[in-house]
Amino acid sequence: MRKTYMAVVLLALVAIVGNHLTSPSSGRAVSPEDFAGACAPCGAPCPSKK
Amino acid sequence: MSTATLSAPDSGAVPRIDYLFLGAALAATGILVVLVLLDGQPASAALILGGFGLGVAFLKAEFSYTASWRRFLTRGEAGGLIGGLIVIAICALAVVPVAALNKNFGGAIAPLGPSLIIGAFVFGIGMQLANGCGSGTLYTVGGGSGRMLVTLAFFIVGSVFGSLSLPSTLALGGVDPVLASDYLGPWGGLLATLLSIALAAGVMIAMARKRGANWRPSRSYIIGGTVIGVLCIGVFFAGGHPWSVTYGYTIWGAKIFAALGFDFSNAGFWQWPGNKQALTSSVLSDTSSLTDFGMIFGAMAAAAATNRYAANAWPPLKSLLAAAIGGLLCGWGARIGFGCNIGAFIGGVASGSLHGWIWFLAALPGCMIGIRLRPAFGLSRD
Repeated sequence: MRKTYMAVVLLALVAIVGNHLTSPSSGRAVSPEDFAGACAPCGAPCPSKK
Repeated sequence: MSTATLSAPDSGAVPRIDYLFLGAALAATGILVVLVLLDGQPASAALILGGFGLGVAFLKAEFSYTASWRRFLTRGEAGGLIGGLIVIAICALAVVPVAALNKNFGGAIAPLGPSLIIGAFVFGIGMQLANGCGSGTLYTVGGGSGRMLVTLAFFIVGSVFGSLSLPSTLALGGVDPVLASDYLGPWGGLLATLLSIALAAGVMIAMARKRGANWRPSRSYIIGGTVIGVLCIGVFFAGGHPWSVTYGYTIWGAKIFAALGFDFSNAGFWQWPGNKQALTSSVLSDTSSLTDFGMIFGAMAAAAATNRYAANAWPPLKSLLAAAIGGLLCGWGARIGFGCNIGAFIGGVASGSLHGWIWFLAALPGCMIGIRLRPAFGLSRD
């Protein structure tokens, strides 16, 4: 299991760093609820807005 | 989460430092912190380090929502649930008033309706089969449990499926969030929130006493709950919102699916502004991902600092099957139900949002079903 774990950690770290270096950064870290109209942590709209 | 899946040292055994994994955990954390600091984002670094602290605290206190709920339902023991309420009460002291008074901060809110109830119910089933909730999965994966690696993988897949289902379940109807501070002001809202927590604790204690069971939280749960509560406040101030876990899983899964060629352009969930941006932005721009990564590496560091890391054998196939099914249900349920124990229950109640209590009440019967299903997968009901 140790080898599996080390492989997963390395793969995950490469994926995170790779994604970070190849994707635009939004500046300050955000959550979908920071956006206008969001009514939940996942950014779902409020029922009254439908 | 059963601690049996972690490689905890025997009582009295001399701690053995696993330098390879301790170094890996510290190096990985350091790399992520440096990356966000190079972007000029000290708050992101604080979220990673806050998550790291949470990982250490959860692992050292063996703080488990899943096991606490199970002990309450099967034996009537309320100590674990009371420990969880300690976390919420401490967190609420900051979240309710600050979110109401400062427009740069917000509480965890969610619409009330079928989506919330169905999601929490399904999550309850899943977390007993998976043997971990959102936070439990993170710290046990970090702690070296191979079984929980399987849970995490399927949790991620399930949450992507959930993101595709959420617009349909929202269409079933519902009402806007109900926030105590909207009706009672910041301090009245805080008082109402603390009273609701005290009432819940009173009911839990009364039920435990009626069954002749212990209701007092253990020392590790009192200390762990206090530390976790304080760290929750730190995460709230760094991120602007209460701590959440499972949205990060959804983003990771969607990015993986997108890399494999899956097209999300017709998926309603991924057209909402925040999600659309998150799908294309760096994963280190997402607040929940930052604390998630920190929590995994924090638990890994804490586990590796005391024992040979990930030294246990893989569990039986039936147990892995339960981990996979439980993970899928947890992922789907968390997305439909607006979060897990952390984002929906702790974050919701600590924000004075009614959806937190509804989530709790809907997840409990799901847990009861999950507990009944556990023996079919070779897992104990206790």
